[in-house]
Amino acid sequence: AVNKAEEPQNPPQLGHLAIIKPLVYLTLRLSLPDALIRLPSGSRLCTRRSSGAAAPGSGATIFALSSGQGRCGIAVIRTSGPSSGHALQILTAARDLPPARHASLRLLSDPRSGEPLDRALVLWFPGPRSFTGEDCVEFHVHGGPAVVSGVLQALGSVPGLRPAEAGEFTRRAFANGKLNLTEVEGLADLIHAETEAQRRQALRQLDGELGHLCRGWAETLTKALAHVEAYIDFGEDDNLEEGVLEQADIEVRALEVALGAHLRDARRGQRLRSGAHVVVTGPPNAGKSSLVNLLSRKPVSIVSPEPGTTRDVLETPVDLAGFPVLLSDTAGLREGVGPVEQEGVRRARESCNFLATVVASVGAQSPSDSSQRLLLVLNKSDLLSPEGPGPRPDLPPHLLLSCLTGEGLDGLLEALRKELAAVCGDPSTGSPLLTRARHQHHLQGCLDALSHYKPSKDLALAAEALRVARGHLTRLTGGGGTEEILDIIFRDFCVGK
Amino acid sequence: MFYLRGCGRWVAASFTKQQFPLVRLSSDSAAPRTPHFDVIVIGGGHAGTEAATAAARCGSRTLLLTHRVDTIGQMSCNPSFGGIGKGHLMREVDALDGLCSRICDQSGVHYKVLNRRKGPAVWGLRAQIDRKLYKQNMQKEILNTPLLTVQEGAVEDLILTEPEPEHTGKCRVSGVVLVDGSTVYAESVILTTGTFLRGMIVIGLEMHPAGRLGDQPSIGLAQTLEKLGFVVGRLKTGTPPRIAKDSINFSILNKQTPDNPSVPFSFTNETVWIKPEDQLPCYLTYTNPRVDEIVLNNLHLNSHVKETTRGPRYCPSIESKVLRFPNRLHQVWLEPEGMDSDLIYPQGLSMTLPTELQEKMITCIRGLEKAKVIQPGYGVQYDYLDPRQITPSLETHLVQRLFFAGQINGTTGYEEAAAQTESCPVARLECSDMISQVQAILLPQPSVAGTAGMHHNTQGVIAGINASLRVSRKPPFVVSRTEGYIGVLIDDLTTLGTSEPYRMFTSRVEFRLSLRPDNADIRLTLRGYKDAGCVSQQRYERACWMKSSLEEGISVLKSIEFSSSKWKNLIPEVSISTSRSLPVRALDVLKYEEVDMDSLAKAVPEPLKKYTKCRELAERLKIEATYESVLFHQLQEIKGVQQDEALQLPKDIDYLTIRDVSLSHEVREKLHFSRPQTIGAASRIPGVTPAAIINLLRFVKTTQQRQAAMNESPKTDQCLRNADRLQERQL
Repeated sequence: AVNKAEEPQNPPQLGHLAIIKPLVYLTLRLSLPDALIRLPSGSRLCTRRSSGAAAPGSGATIFALSSGQGRCGIAVIRTSGPSSGHALQILTAARDLPPARHASLRLLSDPRSGEPLDRALVLWFPGPRSFTGEDCVEFHVHGGPAVVSGVLQALGSVPGLRPAEAGEFTRRAFANGKLNLTEVEGLADLIHAETEAQRRQALRQLDGELGHLCRGWAETLTKALAHVEAYIDFGEDDNLEEGVLEQADIEVRALEVALGAHLRDARRGQRLRSGAHVVVTGPPNAGKSSLVNLLSRKPVSIVSPEPGTTRDVLETPVDLAGFPVLLSDTAGLREGVGPVEQEGVRRARESCNFLATVVASVGAQSPSDSSQRLLLVLNKSDLLSPEGPGPRPDLPPHLLLSCLTGEGLDGLLEALRKELAAVCGDPSTGSPLLTRARHQHHLQGCLDALSHYKPSKDLALAAEALRVARGHLTRLTGGGGTEEILDIIFRDFCVGK
Repeated sequence: MFYLRGCGRWVAASFTKQQFPLVRLSSDSAAPRTPHFDVIVIGGGHAGTEAATAAARCGSRTLLLTHRVDTIGQMSCNPSFGGIGKGHLMREVDALDGLCSRICDQSGVHYKVLNRRKGPAVWGLRAQIDRKLYKQNMQKEILNTPLLTVQEGAVEDLILTEPEPEHTGKCRVSGVVLVDGSTVYAESVILTTGTFLRGMIVIGLEMHPAGRLGDQPSIGLAQTLEKLGFVVGRLKTGTPPRIAKDSINFSILNKQTPDNPSVPFSFTNETVWIKPEDQLPCYLTYTNPRVDEIVLNNLHLNSHVKETTRGPRYCPSIESKVLRFPNRLHQVWLEPEGMDSDLIYPQGLSMTLPTELQEKMITCIRGLEKAKVIQPGYGVQYDYLDPRQITPSLETHLVQRLFFAGQINGTTGYEEAAAQTESCPVARLECSDMISQVQAILLPQPSVAGTAGMHHNTQGVIAGINASLRVSRKPPFVVSRTEGYIGVLIDDLTTLGTSEPYRMFTSRVEFRLSLRPDNADIRLTLRGYKDAGCVSQQRYERACWMKSSLEEGISVLKSIEFSSSKWKNLIPEVSISTSRSLPVRALDVLKYEEVDMDSLAKAVPEPLKKYTKCRELAERLKIEATYESVLFHQLQEIKGVQQDEALQLPKDIDYLTIRDVSLSHEVREKLHFSRPQTIGAASRIPGVTPAAIINLLRFVKTTQQRQAAMNESPKTDQCLRNADRLQERQL
């Protein structure tokens, strides 16, 4: 009785997705839990080519965890550079610096939230009498990953501070004449071992979802930059296709939205640490609630043949194919109904960040391009006559399902499992916490740079914003040389003589 | 008196200062001494002329050896100069007092700044040049350069001697042997011979050796280079056919008019020689499906396209465009070759089809229905020397005091055509000076010659300066990639090498917003004057004045602060978007597109009025304001890169055998081949790891210590000799 024959009207925003009569669709949105940021800290992965990247030794203040990775009693976090003292004051909320070269016990707290992080020993080494010859601070904190991650993130939020590249402390020490030759030799071996470990870790982790995301973003950005660069270098002599800039602009804006969403997720922290978020949306009476009930194997939502039965967002935690998932049922999207249902529709839209965008992008975007993954499910397949016409051929990839007969459920579960595996990765490998500061720093840097991209003005300035943004991303993914840009230019455009 | 019976005639460039060859020619008492110069430049193309004049400007007695004096300054097949990225190079060459910008300002027939609407950092100054005028003006300049002597002659071989112990290298060049067996000695030798090694011309299925392949002289030099162990690579490129101007129906084509007013290339010129209304237009037409059809149906007749010789990633010919980007209309620019030239250069139509098919294809194109092909297009394949074998001062690692500049290093000219023709027989006739006589001229009309393009002028200037500095035992003049496009070009070539004819693009330049066409003088003129001595006093003073005026102007603009509402009253047309009530600096107001120095000075006459008097200054202040916020960050990065580049690697490390440093075998090989000069360059070589960089840092330290110890020790004989030598020169 769930799938009574009243067919839904195709909502106006779905024009090109018009479905043949007896079919109904559902969309599922999976959002990425923020706890799964897993990419290595330390060196740029494989490139030394990108001389556009911030060079070591310049005025920035750097920080890093300088004791070993993993669980330990005490972890040491170091900073070096002119803003070290400032950072120490900010984290200890103190007006004065502690006496130089004396261990002092201080309460560290997050400058943004005021939330206490740890009681730690801090040491203040004003330059030049320090390890690197610059102003240095050491934080000896309790070694739990949460504390370390908290302190690193707090440091990352101090203006002028950035995570150190591999060997950067050593480079500075060397530049300031602080190391003798034997020490350099030993450190080189250490750095070598570190970069090797990081490289292996990176290779492993780049298979994971965040690596996938970052690479996807970096690819999008590299391509957008290449097209802008092509427009600058060849726009007047060679005929590039129409709309090169417009296309790049659209891609950059979409990237900005995706990055922004990702960072907001990541910062919110508590939300859904435990699982991915799957939202079921679609027009009224499509069978969304039936699907939720089917997936959760219990009557979460009331189902009826009447459109508009579900009026609020109903969330239920379920275990889907071994992954913890928060499943949300939403009100069917339609206009011109009573105030209560309209509020339900509003919440439904909110719950998937404006469904109109999500649905409209079904056909245009492959799921891997963004943190929003979509599965298009056409329900009530039992109403399709076996000889009759199938769904329209111009539909995006979709799954057929009948909540009534259960036909297609296995296919749907398998598809969900794949999506979830891609989103969640394998939760058993690696601790993401230690690398979060570096990640947030570069993703935020990328986002900030993108906000300066204004192609309507000076195009060289706009391209510079993209270059800086790409520099941040490629610090996480590796690559980033000029040749990549030229490769894309020559592949995508007929540039010659 | 070997000069008189020798292969060529001496042309004294300077009648005012150095009468050296003439004096000797006329005086028997000096015979039979062998002539001795500071610097010999082999090749009279773009790289050669630029190198010879730069060396002479630096104070070296310089000999330019060219096949024929009357072909000096003959342009390559492409009749244009500059463009996006290339225009930047021209400004930089000019900032070092190079020739080509000044000569282009006297010889152009169509001046246009590309990328006008995309921001001043990427403006591309460009001009169509009149071949005849360019040649005339270039010859006038060359033959009137003090200290520069020009001789016709073909070089057979290099004279090699024992290496100087304090430098690396197998041996040292100390002169050249000419075809007739005579010798000329010099302290430094610059080779700018284009593509003299195994050049092949291809049209359809026919292949001809470019020039005289069995020719002894070129073989002699080539063999010497190969015997010395220089690594050679092979490149391929092509050139379009030339069309008779009066056979083209221009009336139905898109016309491109030159800029009004014209923007000169040189900092020293306020205007160009010709009024905008007297300049010649260019025309634009497009290919069509019939062109594609002819290409696709005749691939079997087109061996150049089939060949596997490594071609560039970009599309060097119409065939490659059709193959890689089918079903599109491709642009063809019809460019004039000069005021009274009957030829049109169809840029975009480089091809290697058999001659009869070329005309068939051309006449398919709109506007060219009745076009007459005067000279067919053709392809060129040639050898070049891997540029990783030279230092950033363009001296070879293998042979001390031997410098390479120009296409021999794998660069291309403004368009590939510019470069490619050097190795065609005609080009060899005029630019490849090792050939005394041409036997196999394939093409009916020698319209092309010379090493072409800005890439070559650029290297010419740098090679000329460094050859001269080497003679006077001064440190080399290296432009860093943080200082100019010249630096990017040379650093890319010498650390990464190239597998396609290297072209300059602004996208290659990391610090593009800092390295702009407008500020090339600030970046390079001052250094050129102080470190190289290649810049005239007048130009130096002008650059100094400009620099201090800009600095003063910027600080004044920073000091003027009003509330945004006051600015709105003063300059109503600008909408200042600020949410905060903080005062706004005049410099920030100047950032708005609709504001320039004139409107700003109208609003605040005191003290801004005086900065509008010099047009260039006013425009440059506006540009500085546009980029101010980004430049600050870029400066930080530049400092970081420069720190790395200040760390010199010892030149004499043998990376393959050195034991007291741990480097992987792969890294050793890479370092051995590229021989980076600084930590910065080493870190840009792909595959050199951060750990290897730390180990290299250790070397820097060792060297510094060693040098410190050396400086404390008493002067060696060598040093004393050098000091004497310097004194002598000053006298």
